[in-house]
Amino acid sequence: MIEIENITKSYPRGEGGVVDALKDASFTIAPGEFVVVRGSSGSGKSTLLNILGCLDQPSSGNYKLEGENVARLDDKALARIRNFRIGFIFQSFNLLPRTTSLENVEIPMVYGEGWVDRKKAISALERVGLAARGDHFASELSGGEQQRVAIARALINNPSLILADEPTGNLDLNSGREVMRLLQALHEEGRTILLVTHDDQVASYAEREIFLRDGQIVSDRSQQARAPEEVMP
Amino acid sequence: MRTTELFTQAIRPLGRYRGRAFLMMLGVLVGIASLAILTAVGEGTKRETMARFKNMIGTFDTIIIRPGGPGFRGMPTLVNVPQSLRFEDARTIAKLPKIKQVVEVQSAFDIDVKYRDRQASPAVFGVGPKWLSLRSEDVADGSFFTEEQNNSLARVAVIGPDVRKDLFPDEDPLQKTIRIGDVPFQVVGLLKSRGAGPTGAQLDNIVLIPINASARRLFNRDYLTMLMAQLKHPKQGSAVAMELTTLLRDRHHIRPPALDDFTVTNPTATMAQVLQAGSTLQKILTGVSAMALLIGGIVILSLMTIAVSERRKEIGVRRSVGAARRDIVVQFLLEASIVSFAGGVCGVIVGWGGMQIVTRLLKLPPILVWQPFVFSILLSLVVGVVFGIYPAWTASRVDPIQALRS
Ligand SMILES: Nc1ncnc2c1ncn2[C@@H]1O[C@H](COP(=O)(O)OP(=O)(O)OP(=O)(O)O)[C@@H](O)[C@H]1O
Ligand SMILES: [Mg+2]
Repeated sequence: MIEIENITKSYPRGEGGVVDALKDASFTIAPGEFVVVRGSSGSGKSTLLNILGCLDQPSSGNYKLEGENVARLDDKALARIRNFRIGFIFQSFNLLPRTTSLENVEIPMVYGEGWVDRKKAISALERVGLAARGDHFASELSGGEQQRVAIARALINNPSLILADEPTGNLDLNSGREVMRLLQALHEEGRTILLVTHDDQVASYAEREIFLRDGQIVSDRSQQARAPEEVMP
Repeated sequence: MRTTELFTQAIRPLGRYRGRAFLMMLGVLVGIASLAILTAVGEGTKRETMARFKNMIGTFDTIIIRPGGPGFRGMPTLVNVPQSLRFEDARTIAKLPKIKQVVEVQSAFDIDVKYRDRQASPAVFGVGPKWLSLRSEDVADGSFFTEEQNNSLARVAVIGPDVRKDLFPDEDPLQKTIRIGDVPFQVVGLLKSRGAGPTGAQLDNIVLIPINASARRLFNRDYLTMLMAQLKHPKQGSAVAMELTTLLRDRHHIRPPALDDFTVTNPTATMAQVLQAGSTLQKILTGVSAMALLIGGIVILSLMTIAVSERRKEIGVRRSVGAARRDIVVQFLLEASIVSFAGGVCGVIVGWGGMQIVTRLLKLPPILVWQPFVFSILLSLVVGVVFGIYPAWTASRVDPIQALRS
């Protein structure tokens, strides 16, 4: 599914020289894996996710997504990948303001097939349990509800890879659980999931943990994923 | 289709940021409204002027010669013109290779026309039988007089609609005998209405009779008040006008420094002058409204640029869910164009309405042109695209990672 080799991302620093947000990262992720990415603040987790999500380009290294070398692709092709094969979930939800839930969920279809299938959007909202909130503005929803709308949006084009950057970071315990249950369900459907988190409980859903420190992968190990019921009774 | 969906995405923010959309529209509206009014008024006046010229002389491929030098003013009639323009001049001019046909005219305005106990005071014109053919017109009823009727000094007349109203309010005038002065003429035809002339004079209150009957049976004058010479090729107007001047000076034995005893006018040139005078003011005012439109464009440019920087996060989100740079460009360009187009449409409506009010208040003839309005609407679209390019491009350059981080 994902193969990265010596991926480095450097940013120029104030007084000349560079800072490596990500250094020589290499790993392979098989289809259907549920991977958690951990590490302290500033260790390069978001940078990694953005590169894997084709939003950002590495300074050096190779990235193959489903066997395809991403570095060669132009803006349009990358946009297509983000549209059809990747679903992003952010810590701050990133729903469009002054836009209803339904319209938010529909946006990927605008840039994908080029036409909006409202029924599909409604059933995506149903799936996250928010069918009744379709005509509400994002600002009228609770944080948990907003994140569920964002998940519905990420799912609308049926992507095989879900990238979630601290999806529960801004949520209370209950809403966080609900979000994790949804991610768990996506995993059970066979989707590949990469999840960034600081939360041990959230991390315990994953079957593999990648640990970053100062932009470097310091550990990459399998772990026994626990069922949600075990973690959060 | 993708474009349709992008269109929807472009329209929504306009509804959500109404104040801004309204301001953008307003800028374009003012520019377009004034531009539409001015071009419509200009175009309307131009057409009106042309129509009046055409009403008077019937055609633009004609050169008009009048007796009297350039100082002569007023409507030429048999009583006030110098007796310098002769039938023989007309015959000579008719033979010139560049001339298609010639119509001699004698005019009188102070003569009564009667039918039984009814009376009218139209302009009476003796004209050559080619009059109608030169104007490429037709009679409304009956027929125009012929070459033979002219040669045989037939006393026949063709009357205008006003004369018909005055003399034959409820009677068929054809074959009736009217008296022009004291001479009886038989009505053989009815003219169509011609509307107003360049000075606003009514052109329907006329009686036409054959020039020969006019010269020898009615007025007993052997000179002309006007000569119309139709060109074979309309473009040769100025050249032929010079040629005719030389010819007539020669025929009238005029040597420098003596001035012409006739005036040659090329209506196309005259009309061009009249239109030119009107269009200078027009140009200035158009410049002013173009400035207004430019300001409208700049309003769009700046408000859209502000919108882009306020909506960086939105752009980042759209990019992250699959919008290519191109989609962002198209979307913001559509947004600017839609708002500008809407401003243009409103501007045209306001302009059109304003024009109706002005023409009604000033009792001007209604201006019946639509092209300037269509043009204005298209122009508003162009303004939207042109001034939307920069903000749309900026939007497409927003770095999604930076935008999403904030
Ligand atoms: N545009 C940039 N210019 C310079 N430095 C950057 C830029 N973007 C990120 N960095 C740096 O790269 C490093 C990694 O950032 P990143 O956002 O990936 O961290 P993170 O692990 O996601 O942290 P957090 O847990 O706080 O979200 C940080 O030190 C950050 O300051
Ligand atoms: Mg981060």
